[in-house]
Formats: sequence, structure tokens, C-alpha cells
Amino acid sequence: MRLHDAALGGLLLGLAAWIWWLTGFFPAFPGQDYGPSLFPRVLGSGIALCGALLLLRGLREGGPVLQVEEWARDPVRLLSFLAVPGAVLLYILLSDWVGFIPLAFVLLLGLTLWFRARPVVALPVAAGVTLAVHWFFAGMMRVPLPRGWLDAVL
Amino acid sequence: MEAILQAFALVFDPAVLGVILISAVFGLFVGAMPGLTATMATALLVPVTFFMDPVPALGAIVTATAMAIFAGDIPGAMLRMPGTPASAAYADESYAMTRRGLLNLNMGVNLVFSVAGGLIGIAVLVLCAPLLAEVAINFSSFEYFWLACLGLTCAVFLSNADPVKGVLSLLIGLLLATVGIDPSAGVPRFTFGEVELMQGVNFVATMIGMFAVSELLRGAVTVRGSGGAVVEQVGDVFRGLGAVWRRYWFNFLRGSGIGTLIGALPGAGADIAAWISYAVSKRFSREKEKFGTGHVEGVVDATAANNSALASAWIPALVFGIPGDSITAIVIGVLYMKGMNPGPTVFLENPQLIYAVFLIFILANLLLLPLGWAAIKGARQVLRTPRNLLLPVILLFCVVGSFAMTNSLYGVSLMLAMGLFGWFLEQHGIPVAPLILGLVLGEMLEQTFVQNMIKADGDWLEFFSRPIAGALGVATLAIWVLMVGRAVAGGRAPKAQVA
Amino acid sequence: MVPTRRRTLLAAAITGGGLATPALAQGRYPSRPVQLIVPWGAGGGTDATARIVGSLLERDLGQPVNVVNRTGGSGVVGHSAIATAPPDGHTIGMITVEIAMMHWQGLTELKPTSYTPIGLVNQDPPGVQVAQNAPYADIRALAEAIKSRPAGTFRASGTGQGGIWHLALVGWLQAMGLRGDHVRWVPSNGAAPAMQELAAGGVDIVSCSVPEARAMLDAGRARSLAIMAPERNPQFAQVPTLNETLGINYSTGAWRGIAGPRNLPAPVVARLGEALKRAYDSNEYKEFMASRGFGTVWRDAEGFASFMAESDRGMGEAMRAAGLARG
Repeated sequence: MRLHDAALGGLLLGLAAWIWWLTGFFPAFPGQDYGPSLFPRVLGSGIALCGALLLLRGLREGGPVLQVEEWARDPVRLLSFLAVPGAVLLYILLSDWVGFIPLAFVLLLGLTLWFRARPVVALPVAAGVTLAVHWFFAGMMRVPLPRGWLDAVL
Repeated sequence: MEAILQAFALVFDPAVLGVILISAVFGLFVGAMPGLTATMATALLVPVTFFMDPVPALGAIVTATAMAIFAGDIPGAMLRMPGTPASAAYADESYAMTRRGLLNLNMGVNLVFSVAGGLIGIAVLVLCAPLLAEVAINFSSFEYFWLACLGLTCAVFLSNADPVKGVLSLLIGLLLATVGIDPSAGVPRFTFGEVELMQGVNFVATMIGMFAVSELLRGAVTVRGSGGAVVEQVGDVFRGLGAVWRRYWFNFLRGSGIGTLIGALPGAGADIAAWISYAVSKRFSREKEKFGTGHVEGVVDATAANNSALASAWIPALVFGIPGDSITAIVIGVLYMKGMNPGPTVFLENPQLIYAVFLIFILANLLLLPLGWAAIKGARQVLRTPRNLLLPVILLFCVVGSFAMTNSLYGVSLMLAMGLFGWFLEQHGIPVAPLILGLVLGEMLEQTFVQNMIKADGDWLEFFSRPIAGALGVATLAIWVLMVGRAVAGGRAPKAQVA
Repeated sequence: MVPTRRRTLLAAAITGGGLATPALAQGRYPSRPVQLIVPWGAGGGTDATARIVGSLLERDLGQPVNVVNRTGGSGVVGHSAIATAPPDGHTIGMITVEIAMMHWQGLTELKPTSYTPIGLVNQDPPGVQVAQNAPYADIRALAEAIKSRPAGTFRASGTGQGGIWHLALVGWLQAMGLRGDHVRWVPSNGAAPAMQELAAGGVDIVSCSVPEARAMLDAGRARSLAIMAPERNPQFAQVPTLNETLGINYSTGAWRGIAGPRNLPAPVVARLGEALKRAYDSNEYKEFMASRGFGTVWRDAEGFASFMAESDRGMGEAMRAAGLARG
């Protein structure tokens, strides 16, 4: 999936305008000339300039506004693509409630099976990796991985 | 002399050697795990060191950190995911080498030049600690401002892409760095009322997203079809190193030199050292166009730099008790606890302990050769794993690693957002490396700029009024003039571009 | 130190943070590992204090106490994580003086009453540090120089804008009858970079606490002229107070204590309070704090609550007077 440079440039101009607008709400301080809004405004102007250059260049070159690669038309491959952010999203939404061990196991198992691993291999790999990661990060490095359903057992 | 003999006796004690070995393995694991940093390893070792004698206590920290900084290179090369922030600068280059089938060479270079760079840092620490410390302590916000400018200037050379898109990427990175509490007035910016956003955009979580997750997204599309392993490689890690050494010995010396200097600066550590030395390597290379395509040259500079910076960060720590990085900040606390109050007097009062620390540094670096080799051998099995298993497992590491950076789901959310954003950028030919550098140096740039303007009351000439600041400033401006001049001169000629 | 204990602790830390402790009595507190949230990063004074307290609490509670750094946002992120944790005693944290300041600045809604106090363990007053080669023999000479020069001549640093050491400076200037901005404030990212600026000649005064300045003092790069406290600190007995030198009775300070989210059950507070008191009284804690030069102060849950209320009121007044309060 690829936007044309001109469209990208237009988006960037919009972004720069939005940033400038947001900086208007930053408090100013009497006697302090270099306030919180200075840097974002300088950067916003730079982004606007880059956006304008892309827009002009793109208009000169021409071409389709949106290019879509072949894989994005194939529903199976598109699903494979979406499975990656989808799994992370599920982790973000459910991990506090379910806990690391069950959720990581299920996600690993689901993904490996979707990618056509044999269940005989996928099951032990998912279980082993989940437990190993939990042991090292939560046990040894004391990272507070969520305990969830297994709270009473751990 | 007697103190040196005592130091040998202190270090070559079976119990001490045992502690060193255990902490070496510990350090290798921590370094190789994305999201776990050498600083975290040190913080976790502190409660353990409460109950140890000074030499094993310091030995554990020295060894674990030296191992961790090298081990961070391993996932960088294999998975495009730096194990520690210090490996971030060249993770992309290393991964490009792997894709070209040069994983063995890359790992060999990382290992051997890490060891050698570490030894140079130690040599400087032993031989001229007081001298270098004297230079480092005189850095004020003016010098740091120019240092940040110099680093950002180099960022423009970081990518081979379209210059407009390179600059755009840098600007977006700098803009992301302004999220959070602003350095001048202490007000929140771009936080939209979210408490978590007040901590700003964590650069490690961003990197994991932009480099590793975006790579997974590309891989996921084809994984059901292929299912085979990524790259099958056999051979010797050390083969071909002689040629690299003969060709790039100057890069090694330059990288170690830059790393040693930056490491000795309070407030700039191994990660900044790697970024700047990589950028310098590219700026002065005769084959700039090869950078980013799996070229070994910049890796030599940067991998030597981060290990030498690790050792030289101890220079201001031991000489003045002023930390050179976050690791030595913790070490100074340990030194106080052990009654070895850092400062010039520690060299007089406890010379045998200081020599023992030096000895452990040397020992740890030498130990890195066999242990690092074993770690590479072990980790290489990872790449033999079929991709349909490897991809989900890497994704889990991304999630846990970014969680560990912030100890909250904010890190994971940030990683997800940045992963999609990084994928979007690369689809449009916008390189992500300048963005990461902008994110790393943005805060230093703005903070020191505001400090300078307040101190100078708005007088720009003050930026050049101190000798070192003046020299750095003139150098930066000279590079800009050269760049603009060359762009104007060569603007009409078609440029060779490597995507 | 008994060698066996040394070894078991090492083994415990290496093999799994002492997770082996069996849950002897289910339902009794604590029944699982306790998280100790620190709003500041590894390597700093709060982190160091929290880690020693954590390892002592761990011994007493019989469950691992995991120090978790939740950094950023000038402390807002970590303080908010403590306040919003489930009130079961398995998530507590080290709260710092900023909790009595940030809400006046409009950075957060959180204030001392958003927590269940457990105990205060540390307090450090600000000092007045100058570079070693500064031409002021003592605090009187510095005060005279500040008064006689026009506003904006002197530059000071130590924290960000509106931070505790900024406030300390403003309070001192006002006590001398000057305006709070008579000395120009250069915001910094903490005390350590500010001391670096001082040594490098970038600023004239750093108003951080003496232990934070200690590295530069010991290195012979800076001098501490006075502390803003009612009495001298035995760790730095040669540094006089403002009262005895200038006759100014101004004192303030940064403090650190352990607290949990609001509505922590009384038995949990009692159990933690006992454990914390024992940790505070232990030689390990005393030796550690002395080795770093940190001050030790004890207030139990009730005392800590009134201490915080007092601190909150004082900070509010000072910040309004200094024009740093918002909203």
C-alpha cells in the first residue's frame, strides 16, 4: 500500500498545521522567551516545508494516488498481515485480566497454527517459550508481567 | 607494585572467579533479550552486592555490563531488534549484512572489535584517566548543544534515501522527542491528558516497533507460503576477520577513540557513542553509498565505540565520583557502600581495589571471546528455526521487551503504533534510522538550547565563547556550509541513489 | 555477613528472585510478591533508597519485594501508578516531595491525600553550592553579592522549572527580601547535570541537597556554603545553616516515604508499618544512608500523614508566592 508523494505531502501539510494549532494552547511565560512552543513550531515548519516539496514534486511526476500491492488483495495473506498487530492488540486489551502465561501461550499457539505449523511442534514450542520468557523476565529480571488468572498459583 | 600483586590475589580467588563467570552468563542473557538493558542488569545486581566483598561486587557489575553490551548485537543482526540501546545505531546495518548472507562475518566483527574496543577503553582508563576526566568535566550545556548538533548533522548522512525524505524522518523524530514534559517550563506537551504520555516516547520501544515489528509485518505476508528457515549458514565466525582488520584498522581506532571520549562525558553513554561513531564513519567513508546495504565498515566503528565507552564511563566515576553513564551512576552508590569513596583519594587509599577493578575489566573482555563465541553459536540455532515458529516467538519478545522498558502496557502500545507507523514510512521510501536518532538526541538538543539561551540572555555569540564549544560549533557550521555548497554544485548532476 | 547467607542470597537473585518462598498461610498478607513502584530512574537517590528498603522489607515480609521503576513526566507517571493500583497492599511505592508540589502546578490531580501513608524514611534539606574557585568565602559574602548586583546577574540550577530546588532558591531569596526571580533559574534534568554545569562554569549556584552535590564536593570542584535546615547535618557537620549565618529562619527539604493507594486495609498498613519500622531501625539501612550522606527521619503512618499535609500546605504557599502555581 503506497500513497502517491503528492498525497503524502498534503498529509504532512495537514500534520504541520495541526501541530501549530496545538502549540497555541501551550502556556507562555512572561520573561521567558524560549517557551514550550518554540521547538515544536520550528519542527512543524520544517515538516511543512518537506511536505510542500513532496507535493510539488509529486504533482510534476503524476501517477496513481494509491498503489496496492498484490498481497493486499489476497484475503489469506491480508489476514496474515493483520494477525501481527491483531495479536499485540489482544495482548494490550486482555493481559491484565488473563495474565501473561495463559495469554502468551494462546497467542503463540494461535499464530503458529495459522502460519501452518504442525500441532505436534506448535504445542510444545508455545508452552516452552511462554514458560522460559516468564521465568527469565518475571522471575530473574523482576519485570512485573501480569499474573492474571494464575495469581493464586504463582 | 605491591598493590598490583595484592590485586592479582584478590581477583584470582576461586570465589571471585566464580562470581565473574556467573555474572558473565547473566550479562549475556540480559543483553541478548530485547528490552532488558545493561543498566537494568546493574540495578538488579546491587541488592546482591550488598552482601559481597568489594572486589566480587564490582567484578559482577563490570563483567555483566561488558557482556551485555556485546550480546545486544546478536538479536540486532539476527532479528533487526537491538538487544540493548547501545546496539541500536547499527542494528539495521547488521541485519542487512545477515540478509546478504554475511551473518558470520558480522558476528565475528562484532565480537572481536567489541573485545578490542573494550580493551582500548580500559587502556585509556588505566593510563590517562585523570587527564581525560579533566576535559570531560568541563563540558557545559554549550558543548553538549554542539555535540547534539554534530550528531544530528551526521543523521542526514545516515540514509541513502531521497534527501527530502531523510530530513523529514529526522524532523518527525525530533517532534516525537517533544512529547512529554517540556524542558523549559515543565509543562506537558502533546499528551492529550494521558498520564502515560507524560513520560515521552520511549526510544527502545519505538525501535522495537519500527525495526522488528515492521519486519514481521513484511514477513507475515509470505510465511504461509514458504515456511522454511530464513538463512542457512555454515562456517566459521572468525573467517575473513583478518581482511576486515587490514582494511578497516583505522575505523576501529577512530571508533574506539570517539567511544572513549563520549563515554567519559558525564551524561552521554555507550548508545550515543555508537550513534555518533557510526555517523562519523559514514561521513568520512570512501564508500558512503554502501552504508545501509549490509556494509561492514560502520559496524566496525560503532561496535568498538560502545564497548570502549562502557569502560571509559568509569573515568569520571573513579576520578571524581561523577557518573559517565547510568551504569556508573549505580556503581558510585556501590563504591560508597563499600567504603571506597570515589575521588582522587581512592587511588591512594585503596590502590589494590582499583587495580583489581582494572584487572577484572581486562579479564571480562578476554572472557568475552570464548563466551561470546558460544553465545553466537547458540543463538544461531534461532535462525534454523522454521519461520512459522520464529515469527510468533519474535513477536512475543517484542511485546515483553517493550513492556519491560516502561513496566507498563504503554510500552507495548507504543511499540504497536510505531511498528505500523514505521512500516508506513518504509512503504513510502522514508528511512526510519534518522527518526530514531532525532528521538535519541532531541531532548538533549532542546534542553541545552533552552539552557544556553537563558544563560546567555539571548546572545548567540555566547554559543562560541568557550574554547571547546567554539571549536565544536565552528566544525558543525563548516560541515553545514560544505554540505550546502556541494548540494548547490552537484545539484544539477543526477545523483546515484541506492534505495 | 555470614557466608552462607551471602551465597543463598546470590543464588536466590540469580535463580529467580527468591520465588521459592512457599505461601505458608494463604489469605494472610502478603500472599504473593509485592511491587514497590519508584517514580524515578535507576541510578538516582530515590531508586537507591527504595532498593535498600525493598531488600529489607523482603526479608521481613517473607515475599519478594520487586522494585519497579515507572519513570518520566517529572514523577507524575510513577506517582499515578501507585495511586491507581488495587488497594490490597501488593503494590506500594516510594512517594517523594513532588507529590506535594505537582498538583499546585496543575500537572496532576494527585496530592498527598490520594495515598495511604505507611512511613516516612528520609528527608534532605537543600544546600547552597558554588564552584570551588568562586570568589565567595562564605554564605554571607554570596548573599551580599547577590543583593548588590542587579537582578539576572546570577544564574542557578538544580531541577526543572518549579522543581523542589528551584522553590528552595526562591524561598531563600524571598527570605532575604529579594524577588524570587532575582537569580535567573536555568532548568536542568536533575541535580547531577546541574552540578556538572556548576563545575564547568555554566551556572553560579546550585541549590540541590548536599548529598546530591557530594560527588563534586569530594572531588574538590564545588563548595557547600550553607544548608536550609533548622540544624546542621551530622554527615556534613562543617556546613552551617542559614539561620546561624544569615539569621534567616528558612528551611525546606525533599523527602521520601513509603505509601500505598488510598483505602489500604488497616491490617495491611499495620503489617507494612511494622516491617518498615524494623527496616528503618536496621543497621543496614542506617549504614547505607550514612554512606550516601542521605538524612534519615522516621514518621509512622499517622505522623507521615500530618507531615505530608504540612508539606503540602507549605509548598502551596511558597509556589503561589513564587508565581509557580497555576490554575
